[in-house]
Amino acid sequence: MFGRPDYREIEHTADVGVELQARDLPSALESAAAAMFDVICDVESVERRLTIPLTVDAREGDLENLLVRWLTELLYVHQSRNVVLSGFEVLSVSRGTLEARVSGEELDPERHTIKLEIKAPTYHELLLEEREGRWSVRVIFDT
Amino acid sequence: MRFDASQLRRVSESVWDIPRHGGMRVPGRVYADDALMAHIREEKALDQVVNVAHLPGIVGRSLAMPDIHWGYGFPIGGVAATDPAGGGVISPGGVGYDINCGVRLMATSLPATDAQSRIQSIVAALFSDVPSGVGSRGAIGKLSSRELSNVMEQGAAWAVSRGYGTDGDLERTEERGRLATADPSTVGKRAVERGLDQVGTLGSGNHFIELGVVDEVFDEPAARAFGLEAGEATLLIHSGSRGLGYQVCDDYLEVMQGAMSKYRIELPDRQLACAPVDSPEGRDYLSAMACAANYAWANRQVMMSLAAAALEKAMGLSAERMGLRLVYDVCHNIAKLETHDVDGRRLRLCVHRKGATRAFPAGHPDVPSPYAAVGQPVLVPGDMGRSSYVLVGTDRAMEETFGSCCHGAGRVLSRKRARKEARGRSIAAELLERGVCVMATGKGTLAEEMPQAYKDVANVVNVAEKSGIARRVARLRPLGVVKG
Repeated sequence: MFGRPDYREIEHTADVGVELQARDLPSALESAAAAMFDVICDVESVERRLTIPLTVDAREGDLENLLVRWLTELLYVHQSRNVVLSGFEVLSVSRGTLEARVSGEELDPERHTIKLEIKAPTYHELLLEEREGRWSVRVIFDT
Repeated sequence: MRFDASQLRRVSESVWDIPRHGGMRVPGRVYADDALMAHIREEKALDQVVNVAHLPGIVGRSLAMPDIHWGYGFPIGGVAATDPAGGGVISPGGVGYDINCGVRLMATSLPATDAQSRIQSIVAALFSDVPSGVGSRGAIGKLSSRELSNVMEQGAAWAVSRGYGTDGDLERTEERGRLATADPSTVGKRAVERGLDQVGTLGSGNHFIELGVVDEVFDEPAARAFGLEAGEATLLIHSGSRGLGYQVCDDYLEVMQGAMSKYRIELPDRQLACAPVDSPEGRDYLSAMACAANYAWANRQVMMSLAAAALEKAMGLSAERMGLRLVYDVCHNIAKLETHDVDGRRLRLCVHRKGATRAFPAGHPDVPSPYAAVGQPVLVPGDMGRSSYVLVGTDRAMEETFGSCCHGAGRVLSRKRARKEARGRSIAAELLERGVCVMATGKGTLAEEMPQAYKDVANVVNVAEKSGIARRVARLRPLGVVKG
């Protein structure tokens, strides 16, 4: 069992958004992923039974694109492999390529409560920036 | 930068203009009365009307239908037409992730009282026989990639050829359930993979199947033409292109990010990323989007058959005996090439409808022959507790909104607020008290989709009627609802 990620849900009428702070870029990306899965399901019930290595390619120097590609890749893994994820470890980010290891387990409707379907992270009001050593993230999802 | 609401100019009781300013290429227009506008002003939907007006090649106005609310990129309820011959663009964000999300209405000759007496069994049958919920799959078995190509090319006709429905259904489907620009070679591997086992599935969120009753008829001749009679049961299905559509949108949004610099396009919101319609990127998206749109029509066509079988089972009557027939199927997330008159010129335009419904008038060549004398049915679902409406397109819509109207009620509460307000309540029990039996797959769905989370659709359609962009034909009242 793991704790709930720390983020704020944005009041968006039609969709759902999240805002959070992090100490560095890898943890900003990890926390954004954790927040997204907390919107999707009850992450505290997701055990880390399987680990999946991921490589995500984005446009070099385009952090917003990196954030969107990363979250999009995770949604693809979630939906195409029918798994729920709760562990996110960003190993490296270099020249637009992100290496990560994510963990979770196969979706079991008996144990996992799916709260909401996320279709995609959007660029609308997207934020990933560093100011005075703190990273801020904001993502609005199409739901 | 937030839109300064003092720039709104009132044109009439239910029409507001946003004059061109900054980088806007055309003015904006919003259809709303005072009550709706009070809510619209609170969020960022008007900023989005302004942003859309920046699209290269946009003509006429950046429009917002009476159910406008804050979306991402385009506002929900947004309509924009661009002129491909004048560098006009196509934007995946102007269509959305759920490509050809739409609504299908069936009428019956079944007295609603008969359906009401078996409503629990009907809802249970619909719930068990049409897969619903996040990632729902397996309604008709997994297709081969080759068969999926046929679905993407043929749309609703593919479903009919496999025994789901009849040829007559195609005539009563927008575009006959198929966009001819579809080219499966433009659809990526991931989209194909996600589409293989989701034909005939409802999905989640605001998607639903609703058994209702024609509660009131406002326009007798039009209702007669549509086959709607007061007191008779109806079946309404709201769904789209599922994971295949989301993936097509994702893939092409990425393509458009590159196209923006290639074609030197600058816009206030990256989610509006676009390319000229007449460019390799624009043409490919149009073809891939058409594949997803056709998939959605096949999906709703199959679901109609599954729902009809469920109704037969619960009522112990054949579909024929119940007089079950398709009234119409509309899409409300789409971009289409259509011919419109703009400033006295007849132009072939790319019309984006993001949460907006086509509303063509009587006599338009694209209105199916049974409805030629009255106009195209416009299906406007409301929340699951109050009502839904059937409207009909008008000449005024053709002149002002590129033949478009609203698509629903529009949310008034965020999902978070709705969950908070539903705490400690049983929404299912409350609805049952109001005579509506509901079942949902998702745990939070009923709370997030409760009637109070939506505007009253009656107010939205009143604005559509007052402003002349549609006329009310009939009101439907829900008796039983299945949610994803």
